[in-house]
Amino acid sequence: MTWKNTTDRWGPVSQLLHWLIVLLVLVLAIVGLTMGELPKTPKYFWVYTMHKSTGITLLALVLVRIAWRLYAGAPRPVHGTPTWQARVASVTHVLLYALLLVMPLSGWLYDSASGLRPFRWYGLVEMPKLSAPNTGVADLSHDAHELLFWVLAVLVVVHAAAALYHHMFQNDDTLRRMLPGRRRGQQAG
Amino acid sequence: MSHKLTTPAAVAATLVALMASAPALAADYVQAAGSTLAFATKYDGEVFTGTLPGFSTTLSFDPADLSDAKLDVTIPLAGADTGNGDRDTTLRGADFFNVAKFAQARYSATKFRSLGGDQYAADGTLELRGVSKPVTLTFTWTPGTAPVLAGKATVKRLDFGVGGGDWADTDTIPDEVAVSTRVVLKPAE
Repeated sequence: MTWKNTTDRWGPVSQLLHWLIVLLVLVLAIVGLTMGELPKTPKYFWVYTMHKSTGITLLALVLVRIAWRLYAGAPRPVHGTPTWQARVASVTHVLLYALLLVMPLSGWLYDSASGLRPFRWYGLVEMPKLSAPNTGVADLSHDAHELLFWVLAVLVVVHAAAALYHHMFQNDDTLRRMLPGRRRGQQAG
Repeated sequence: MSHKLTTPAAVAATLVALMASAPALAADYVQAAGSTLAFATKYDGEVFTGTLPGFSTTLSFDPADLSDAKLDVTIPLAGADTGNGDRDTTLRGADFFNVAKFAQARYSATKFRSLGGDQYAADGTLELRGVSKPVTLTFTWTPGTAPVLAGKATVKRLDFGVGGGDWADTDTIPDEVAVSTRVVLKPAE
């Protein structure tokens, strides 16, 4: 077994990063969409701090993931995939990576420009400010954070639907090669 | 009055006598454009400032005779501006200024002291959020056709119930709020 990715399979490092990021995005989305309903008093500010801290964690993981992919390579599209589908998939992947970077960055910028209080990562590490307090920057970054979330949500649905389509209707390895365990061919053998 | 106003000399003598017999009145002033009232405090160690636009001042003040000095400042609170919409909303709310019930604060002083040079102190009363407590304003007085009163005061927010409940923790928001003002004055009509 290799830690790296092969031409037909994602290695364990890429798999772990992929599914960990899925989990974090899910938690961030649920908390992010609902925390605005909380009373705006210090008793509940830890929820915001958790959302922001987890967002920074996500940013770090996405950077590691991209670096690992550049180092360890990526599998080729499964055999028989039409070129146009492979291209659409590639564009989707690039957009997903981009959004996974821009989402935490826009949130971080919003936090900085709001100038409400210090942001300490999980209460431990004082995070630098990306901007001085600025209402215009705060509004813009907040709107971007919200709008881009929905773009990300749509792309995630498209991405997951494509994987499931390959898995259930094409009956190929597209989804399975991002999952732990042995390949179908090996299981059959 | 026994003088017959028959000669210019007699008129002049009468005028001088009238002026000499009048009480020494402190000059009366009202607030002119360009005046500011601001406050500064911290959240979680991070400084933020706010302005209180729309305040109005009347002042009777004669540096040579402080016994008749009188200051009266009315401060509408709904316009408190800290550069963050969420924070301003919280500030207007029941936990802080409670503007629905106490639309304005008032500072009045009749006891003035000289601190030497152009420095003075007014031992006045601040009425804020339904509570009246003594607050001392120290200021410099710059005389002229548009005299300027530049002052500072320290207000203990908890004395007035500003930031109660969840916000009362002075580790998060210190009790002492720094207030500073620069009032440009013009003679009262």
